Amino acid sequence: MIRDAWSRVRGRGAPTAEGETGGMRPENIIWVFGTARTGSSWLSAMMSEIGGYGRWHEPLVGHLFGNLYYVRAGHRHEDEHFILGASHRELWLKAVRRFVLDSAAARFPEVAGRGGYLIIKEPQGSMGAPLLMEALPESRMILLVRDPRDVVASNLDAHKKGTWTADLMRKGGKEKPPSLAESRPNDFVRGQAKRYVRDVGNAKLAYDAHGGPKVHVKYEDLRADTLVTMRRIYSALEIPVDEAELVRSVEKHSWENIPAEQKGEGKFHRKAKPGGWREDLTPVQVEIVEGVAGSLLEVLYPVRSTA
Amino acid sequence: MTPRFERAWQRAVRKGKSLRSRVRGPSQAGETRGVWSENVVWIFGTGRSGSTWLGSMMENLDGCAMWNEPLVGNLFGNFYYFRAGDRIGKVGKHFILGERYKETWLEPMRDLVLGGAAARFPEVIGGGYLIIKEPNGSIGAPLLMEALPESRMIFLIRDPRDVVASSMDARSGGSWLKERRDDQKRRVEPEKNPNAYARMRANSYVQQIEKTSQAYRDHRGRNVMVRYEDLRADTLGTMRRIYSTLEIPVDEAELVRSVEKHSWENIPAEQKGEGKKRRQAKPGGWREDLTPRQVEIVEGITAPLLDEYYSDTATTRGAL
Repeated sequence: MIRDAWSRVRGRGAPTAEGETGGMRPENIIWVFGTARTGSSWLSAMMSEIGGYGRWHEPLVGHLFGNLYYVRAGHRHEDEHFILGASHRELWLKAVRRFVLDSAAARFPEVAGRGGYLIIKEPQGSMGAPLLMEALPESRMILLVRDPRDVVASNLDAHKKGTWTADLMRKGGKEKPPSLAESRPNDFVRGQAKRYVRDVGNAKLAYDAHGGPKVHVKYEDLRADTLVTMRRIYSALEIPVDEAELVRSVEKHSWENIPAEQKGEGKFHRKAKPGGWREDLTPVQVEIVEGVAGSLLEVLYPVRSTA
Repeated sequence: MTPRFERAWQRAVRKGKSLRSRVRGPSQAGETRGVWSENVVWIFGTGRSGSTWLGSMMENLDGCAMWNEPLVGNLFGNFYYFRAGDRIGKVGKHFILGERYKETWLEPMRDLVLGGAAARFPEVIGGGYLIIKEPNGSIGAPLLMEALPESRMIFLIRDPRDVVASSMDARSGGSWLKERRDDQKRRVEPEKNPNAYARMRANSYVQQIEKTSQAYRDHRGRNVMVRYEDLRADTLGTMRRIYSTLEIPVDEAELVRSVEKHSWENIPAEQKGEGKKRRQAKPGGWREDLTPRQVEIVEGITAPLLDEYYSDTATTRGAL
């Protein structure tokens, strides 16, 4: 009985789809879509802490396919010649599927080999979420959202001079070029709000269309009661989880346990304060975000205060 | 997982793949039933360099078909070299097109091309030739040629000044491309800011030609470089050279007929001229089309390529 339960948890015993080499089971993939600065690193870190999980950190596969499909060649969907054209959709979705499964198996053999779960944290590839979820309909999905005003405020801080994004580029041997966040903050805010609409809008399209296990999570709920929200996630995704392990993981990654010197303005862990946009954005910037992301705000945050 | 275990796993995956390939027979991955990868002929370069004309002449021959701008090169190349360019060569394992895992993404890329080709062009399955006209996907030429090393390649190049002049005309008010793309927002419109447009187009020329040139240099298979100017000056002679270099047998009478059919002179007058897809087909026409400032911009940006491929053509550099 114990073995059976363990097999179910770890996903052993079920057949791998024909031709899908390397053994990564599509139903054991958990996508985290939304947009950047919504707490996806935190959420995926908590989930991957639990035994038998792997975390694929921003492969950008959603961006790869989504950008051409929705942005650069959005006008060619009905063109028979277009590589991602409607008339051969099934064919190229199969290639997308293989792309993900082969790549996952090669990168996470320990997860694939024992039928474990793989969390694919893909906020910046959320534009391609509808394509990925259609290609891998058995996979599970977390739609992680956060108030767009807080998302934009967080990005505005992140792209200022001398912040963690500059450190990240320096580590990669590059200097961060001057950002609009400094020179034209309102234009930066408008750009970020549009990006929010593109990413979260497409992630929501995927979520609505997905027939498999899925859960919609608000960053604000995750902050307010992390453990309860985490339990809800596992329950909705139909993934058994060991309660003690979950408690330990939540505790380990709690805001309070992040060392003080790693938190604050200009840091990756900034303030984790829902509604902080009231202190961070100017009234004009709030107006810009609410104007651009208004329809999504209505749907995702129907009870809210506006500027 | 220990590094040793990971290496062992990678070896096992690779071995599995090579065994699968062998079982499938002489061509790769089920290609005996599909389009033969060695019969794929890519046309790379840049837009407005005569690729439609060249592709049409080739398509017209018996047993050939033309795939018109699938943008598969754009799909992978734009992402790999630009959007995620800062992640190329990183040692980490997370980037989907990471160097360390090339095998896992070159294979599906190959399948995407060959599978897409077979579905769209069943008439060339089992031995016909498929011309893939992909000037606007040339940014991905190095990746595609690596994924399909048996395929053949045409590097089609045209004087950048004529390319920019032609692009400016094509995107001006009332032109064929402007009408087609009216719903698309473009960052720079040639009519509103012609110099900025010339700069942008010259930069994209450099990106595309540099990547085409890289693919051409690295390709170990059959490839040929063609200048638009030579194709205009002696179409039949240049076409013979293309087929001979690519080692594709061609019926001389058929080739003559195709060249004749697609000649500039045989295009009806009402389909040619300013604002039309077929504009003037006149090498050196940039002298009439571009302002001195625009010439200076284009020559400044494309200088290394002009030196390499058009050293025989006078430039205005230093004269302005």
